[in-house]
Amino acid sequence: MLETPPLSYRINRILRGSIPFWLTFLLALISVVPLRIDGFAIVTPSLVSIAVFYWSLHRPYLMPAPVVFVLGIISDILTGVPLGLSSLMLLIIHAIAVSQRHIFVGKAFVMSWWGYFLVATGIALLSWMIACLYSLTLIPILPVLVQLILTILVFPLFAWCFGVVQFSLLRSV
Amino acid sequence: MALRQETAWKLAFPLKVIFQRFAFLTLICLSIALLVLGKADLVLMERVRTISTDALSPVLGTLSQPVDAINKGIERVQELASLVEENERLRRENERLQRWQTVSRALDQENEYYRRLLNALTDPLVLPISARVVGDSGGPFVRTLLLGAGSRDGIRVGQAVVGPQGLVGRIAETGENSARVLLLTDLNSRIPVVLEKSRHKGILVGDNSASPTLEYLPNNAQVSAGDRVVTSGDGAMLPAGRPIGIVSSVSDGQIRIQTFADWARLEYVSVLRYDLPGLTDRATNPGDLGESKLGD
Repeated sequence: MLETPPLSYRINRILRGSIPFWLTFLLALISVVPLRIDGFAIVTPSLVSIAVFYWSLHRPYLMPAPVVFVLGIISDILTGVPLGLSSLMLLIIHAIAVSQRHIFVGKAFVMSWWGYFLVATGIALLSWMIACLYSLTLIPILPVLVQLILTILVFPLFAWCFGVVQFSLLRSV
Repeated sequence: MALRQETAWKLAFPLKVIFQRFAFLTLICLSIALLVLGKADLVLMERVRTISTDALSPVLGTLSQPVDAINKGIERVQELASLVEENERLRRENERLQRWQTVSRALDQENEYYRRLLNALTDPLVLPISARVVGDSGGPFVRTLLLGAGSRDGIRVGQAVVGPQGLVGRIAETGENSARVLLLTDLNSRIPVVLEKSRHKGILVGDNSASPTLEYLPNNAQVSAGDRVVTSGDGAMLPAGRPIGIVSSVSDGQIRIQTFADWARLEYVSVLRYDLPGLTDRATNPGDLGESKLGD
């Protein structure tokens, strides 16, 4: 029988463990803050999807499916898109990341960048199709592609930041 | 004992995996169900949205403040560079506007006189509510803004939202202290408009591109690039004569409008409370001073 760890230890663990969630939540908020750059609001990189992809790869138990779902709902509410669209997309990203972990974890960074490129492209096209179906019109696809390219370009920066967090605050979690 | 525990683990592990798979599939189904339900415009869904935006809008307001400050700083520096030319330009513009003012004063008087002669009814008072833009649509699928003011401040669904240059959109959702604006470029936006000169009426249809199209004009309408487009006031939701933009291109039946609104620099917008006696319900769209803080 193991001795139950003291309360402070457990609180510390819980707080540290919730870091991926809070980070992603913060990114969801940041992506709707008006930067007042012409046309940028439309093509704001999808930072939440980067975070979900990264943490699903590196700490899947801190980014389980229900948390992904909640984050998706939050970003849906914030951006004003049909409720459920982002959560569906993020869940698919999560599922792919978790099931293909062995390909990416421990390999060169370029591998996960490439993986994210493939996943994000598929997701962008899928979400575009669903949005078109939802509104029964052809939505211009160019902004979707520009957003995709921007998201892929900023991926290394955010992945690096998450890496720093992972190896400092989440080393033992 | 140890053996039994081991077999329990062996049993429990696949169970856990099965449970996780099940939870995952349930969540996927739930997302799809939400999408379908959202299409049905349920009141409950609307409530969930507004309550959550209410909770998040103060956070967004705080987050957007430093961004605003930085932007203002940058703007200041840029302005410093062109201070002299800007001053010269403004002086000339001021002269021009002062001449205009004299003309418009005379016209105003004349109008007022004719109105009295004809005993014509004037439009009711339009009361603007200024609200801060705390969020924009961070994505390619919708064109919306989030305001840091809501029904507590007198904002109601359907009211017009104008920026410094012209109409921006309409209120689509309201919470206690937050409201969502459907921009006129959004693909769900339909605004009754009129060509200022020829007085032909049409509907301004957004399509998620930067320049909405003008549709349902009468067949004989003459439109050319440069014509001004203003709100027509049809439907009694928006005040008439508010500037929207100019016709930018006319090509094979498609008329595109260049809006006056500067989408990148919307910091504060005015929500117009507008009440046509007998046509709008006072309870849902109050245009009187009673509810506003201005009346105090």
